[in-house]
Amino acid sequence: MSGRARVRARGSTPGHGARAVGNAPGDITVSVFLSLSHVYEVGISSGDGGHTFKETQGKDRQDFIDLGVCTREKLAHVKDCKTGSSGIPVRLVTNLFSLDLPQDWQLYQYHATYSPELASRRLRIALLYNHSILLDKAKAFDGTSLFLSEKLDQKVTELTCETQRGETIKITLTLTSELLSNSPVCIQFFSVIFRKIFKKLNMYQIGRNFYKPSEPVEIPQHKLSLWPGFAISVSYFESRLLFNADVSYKVLRNETVLEFMTDLCFRTGMSGFTEACQKQLVGLVVLTRYNNKTYRIDDIDWSVKPTHAFQKRGGSVVTYVDYYKQQYDITLSDLNQPVLVSLLKRKRTDHAEPQMVHLIPELCFLTGLTSQATSDFHLMKAVAEATRLSPMGRQQQLARLVDDMQRNQVARLELETWGLHFGSQISLNGRVVPSEKILLQDYTCQPASAADWSKDMRACKVLSSQPLNRWLIVCCNRAEDLMEAFLSCLRRVGSGMGFSVGYPKIIKVDETPAAFLRAIQLHVDPDVQLVMCILPSNQKNYYDSIKKYLSADCPVPSQCVLTRTLNKQGMMMSVATKIAMQMTCKLGGELWAVEIPLKSLMVVGIAICRDALNRDVAVVGFVASINSRITRWFSRCVLQKSAADIADCLKVCMTGALNKWYKSNHDLPARIVAYRYGVGDGQLKAVLEYEVPQLLSSVTECGSDARTSRLSLVVVRKRCLLRFFTETGRAVRNPPLGTVVDSEATRPEWYDFYLVNQLATRGTVSPIHYNVIYDDNALKPDHMQRLTFKLCHLYYNWPGIVSVPAPCQYAHKLTFLVAQSIHKEPSLELANNLFYL
Amino acid sequence: MAGLRTPSEDPEGAERRRDAQGQRAARCGRPARCGEQRVEQRGCAGVRGGASSSTGLGGALSQRFAFPGGNASYCWCNSVAGGNFEDVTPEKVIRFNPPLYKQRYQFVRDLVDRHEPKKVADLGCGDTKLLKLLKIYPCIQLLVGVDINEEKLHSNGHYLSPYLGEFVKPRDRDLTVTLYHGSVVERDSRLLGFDLITCIELIEHLDSDDLARFPEVVFGYLSPAMIVISTPNAEFNPLFPTVTLRDADHKFEWSRMEFQTWASQVADRYNYHVEFTGVGTPPAGSEHVGYCTQIGVFRKNSGKLAEPSVSQQPDQHVYKAVYTTSYPSLQQEKVLKFVLVGELLIQVDRLRLRHQRMLREQEKEQDPKAGGMDFSPAPHLLLGAVFTEAEKARIENSPKPFCEGEKFCIPLQRLLAYPKLHRLCADEERMRCLIADSVCLSSDGSAVVVDLHNSWDYRPEDN
Repeated sequence: MSGRARVRARGSTPGHGARAVGNAPGDITVSVFLSLSHVYEVGISSGDGGHTFKETQGKDRQDFIDLGVCTREKLAHVKDCKTGSSGIPVRLVTNLFSLDLPQDWQLYQYHATYSPELASRRLRIALLYNHSILLDKAKAFDGTSLFLSEKLDQKVTELTCETQRGETIKITLTLTSELLSNSPVCIQFFSVIFRKIFKKLNMYQIGRNFYKPSEPVEIPQHKLSLWPGFAISVSYFESRLLFNADVSYKVLRNETVLEFMTDLCFRTGMSGFTEACQKQLVGLVVLTRYNNKTYRIDDIDWSVKPTHAFQKRGGSVVTYVDYYKQQYDITLSDLNQPVLVSLLKRKRTDHAEPQMVHLIPELCFLTGLTSQATSDFHLMKAVAEATRLSPMGRQQQLARLVDDMQRNQVARLELETWGLHFGSQISLNGRVVPSEKILLQDYTCQPASAADWSKDMRACKVLSSQPLNRWLIVCCNRAEDLMEAFLSCLRRVGSGMGFSVGYPKIIKVDETPAAFLRAIQLHVDPDVQLVMCILPSNQKNYYDSIKKYLSADCPVPSQCVLTRTLNKQGMMMSVATKIAMQMTCKLGGELWAVEIPLKSLMVVGIAICRDALNRDVAVVGFVASINSRITRWFSRCVLQKSAADIADCLKVCMTGALNKWYKSNHDLPARIVAYRYGVGDGQLKAVLEYEVPQLLSSVTECGSDARTSRLSLVVVRKRCLLRFFTETGRAVRNPPLGTVVDSEATRPEWYDFYLVNQLATRGTVSPIHYNVIYDDNALKPDHMQRLTFKLCHLYYNWPGIVSVPAPCQYAHKLTFLVAQSIHKEPSLELANNLFYL
Repeated sequence: MAGLRTPSEDPEGAERRRDAQGQRAARCGRPARCGEQRVEQRGCAGVRGGASSSTGLGGALSQRFAFPGGNASYCWCNSVAGGNFEDVTPEKVIRFNPPLYKQRYQFVRDLVDRHEPKKVADLGCGDTKLLKLLKIYPCIQLLVGVDINEEKLHSNGHYLSPYLGEFVKPRDRDLTVTLYHGSVVERDSRLLGFDLITCIELIEHLDSDDLARFPEVVFGYLSPAMIVISTPNAEFNPLFPTVTLRDADHKFEWSRMEFQTWASQVADRYNYHVEFTGVGTPPAGSEHVGYCTQIGVFRKNSGKLAEPSVSQQPDQHVYKAVYTTSYPSLQQEKVLKFVLVGELLIQVDRLRLRHQRMLREQEKEQDPKAGGMDFSPAPHLLLGAVFTEAEKARIENSPKPFCEGEKFCIPLQRLLAYPKLHRLCADEERMRCLIADSVCLSSDGSAVVVDLHNSWDYRPEDN
């Protein structure tokens, strides 16, 4: 659907500029702006593609909805206590601050009615605010609901007042609710107060966060500015109300949309220009030059020019050029530019038609990054470097914020009026779970650092591997010498690992994607175990066409390597080692294991993302372990047409996995622990109500009376504002690997915990949030936490710990490959191999 | 959820109600600048589209804009807003279109446009709406508001902070905006030497003592190049339904004769000359009553010659600065550097892409079978800068970009020829200094050097 079609579909009446556009093709690329409040995972990338990780952030405040999903009360074993006890205690500083309220604090909500009825909200507000009864009280009123921190004498209060014109108006205030400080309404109310305070601190609100454009971090070579700021939230944690703030950066492009378009025009030429514009721009958020508002680009109207006239509210007609001159003293320089179309969401009256706004590209700046920019490794690296803050730096920013807040008289007053006291930074106790041993074929190692055990396993044999005898290398003539050198290196490394690599058939081709594909089509037969392609450039279509053909049309494991990667001086050995490990996995080998005390346990990872070409399609990745050692995996990927990021194919996938398990173990697993990754804000309820039953029904149908597997579902969330630090003297550092937090910073209504299993030398680690929403297994919290930690060691693409459990990381990698490159369901023949590494 | 807002009334109400608003008028300020409503962005959750209140949308929004910028017009219409007058059949109320307060502001804006003052002060600035309108003018470098109502200054101050966009495309010249709490009959040396001082609907709020001291402070002491004073015209009042003062806090409302007599005496005493005009034209048939708001524009006779006396005045700080903000501008080295590097890189990239395309086309000519792509621009889409003949000539006469292997070099002289860059920095040596740590220069420093090909160059055949 073109952008315009979508505009219509939403039921707007296009106004003045609404001539039908002959042809506005192109898919809508919805690329939500990026908030860099987390550490980038630049470290973990495959040798294949070099795509960087991209995360989007939802805009609506939906966490409240999730907080209403009280899952813990149904889990009897954690009803009273959900904390573990194993590990070494560690004192942690957080980025939480206490918000103290008087013991008996309540918020009183009144409903106001006017007689005679007043249409003007402003007049209603003015009359009530000026009434003597409310004069010195803390109050907030939106025209209907009045909030007071002190109760009025009566439940129903009648007030009389007079308008300027002498009319007498009767106002009736009826007490509707007395709200405790932990009620959702109250918490939302506090958020409003804090938003007000942040504005007083000279910060600008963009989306949900607050930024200081006066102190930008600049990346001129990429035309970017980063505005530092904070993401904040006020909410009720385990036992009290807390304020949470984390440093966040807003990405802003230092060019107008017009400059961006002109640039694009230079790059694409005229033929595909409008299409490319549509593709790159629609969905992005722009900031206008003459006010502080942001708009989402919903469409580009090429038929309207700045010299065209539009009708103003008063009925008069004015051209855009004249309007901006008169209103803002801005002279438009390019009279041929099109206009951007944005639909305004109406908040108050949802049923009303959306308003359509025309924006002039010359006066709009792009915020966030285009999809093109996020796939630019250099750019993303520069951004990550500029925004990376050490724990110390982060702590300093927080201290500065608190200081600003306490020094600002207006801010202080605002808090005081409502009886709020902004308190101290919260410290809490965490535990560090013991480190894990890595089991190899004939050697067990206790790695020096869990973050990277590649050195520890040098010259060790992997658990198992298939000898590679029949395989192809496709490369272009230019890369022949390089390829030969690499091949001998690969064979040497392979034999050390116990992975026997035979001599391949080598096919030399021209330097075009089509030539590569043709060669593969010609030479791949059912006997071929693996195809390796030495790619001359990281142009996406090389990689995509190869992966598409070899994953879906003709299922054979494939390995792509960039010439550039092989060219790196002195890196050949480590590159070859990494690739040898990937190839082992792609052929169904196992690299290493950790000790899993639970026997007959299946772990499952589920991840969902959107197809890059067709946003209506959700890509569901499902990866399940099929042996007790958790070293062999069954991977499926299903494309489903749906608007929500909720999977509806889980029953099929689960049944497939259980059958596979049964085949290799001759029994069903006693326990299943599933990790669900990629749950958006506000979707927790849907996961509980739609996904859990799918899994359960598969488990019940496959099971017998004698044995039915018990299921647990854990929601894994990477994106959270929370940070933990350890304090040593005056310095703060990242907490050690394996730090578990299951009190104070968690939520009373959930069985949840945080786990830190990232090692950052320069940045700040972000803890991962685990929320056990369904739990038949009734494992002790200690065991659940340790199992989760163990699973983070089993991602074969990286000889070290990863931030989420391996099944999640596998499922994510699989969906990413399918969503970005394949756009089809990969063949089931590959399901037993980790073909997507 | 309640937007925490200050009291306010129906924005589009009749002038009558508007002027009747300032109930708690203080000595010298106008507490509510009658009716111009602060458009407050509601503090509620996630408004991305931003526009949540009923006015003040930033984009050119179809059918939603009030004032057509035209001159005063009015209409007789049935009274509506807010309800019904008892036992009166639909009454005739005067409404101005655009609303009168907007016409007054437009009057000031026109003056600023014409005279391009550098330093402007608004006495009795109230909710700072006029200042907000004036801050967009590039000529103004110092903008000051004074009011007796400190609370109002506190709560409205941050509306005067720079727009986010002004950090990306900064102004040419510095601008500082300051709000002072104080009375207009007190002398504060920080208001000396201004080019324009406006007193919009101010004097009628002054009691007789203050009114007597007002000329001596504003004309005698502050003595700016130009003063604008507006006040209600009492002769217009009979056209309103009830004949009283327009606002409870008004101490007086003058006829044209009264105002002009006072103004002429003041002008004479302090060596100004005054011209009278107004906004809010009366309805047909009532032309004799004159404008609804009468305005006197005072200009100093001696022009700018009187300025040296300013420095001789001792510093006298009686006002309390409530809010102050400085705008980023090209006069600040850091900002200039940022903008220059940004513009330069845009230009460099354009030249690089143009060169690439040229190479591609050359290749195609040599190899006819590879052709097929059409690069001729469609005539209806002409984006980007269009140069004048003189600019074109300057660009063509400057040294051309060239290639050294995979490196693409653009001489600084060439870059300086482009108007957008020339505007920022006209001197090669200065340009070199400003960009040196942000871009790669050739060994002799005469050219910017970049890679001819980027891995992320968008190619049409990619899709």
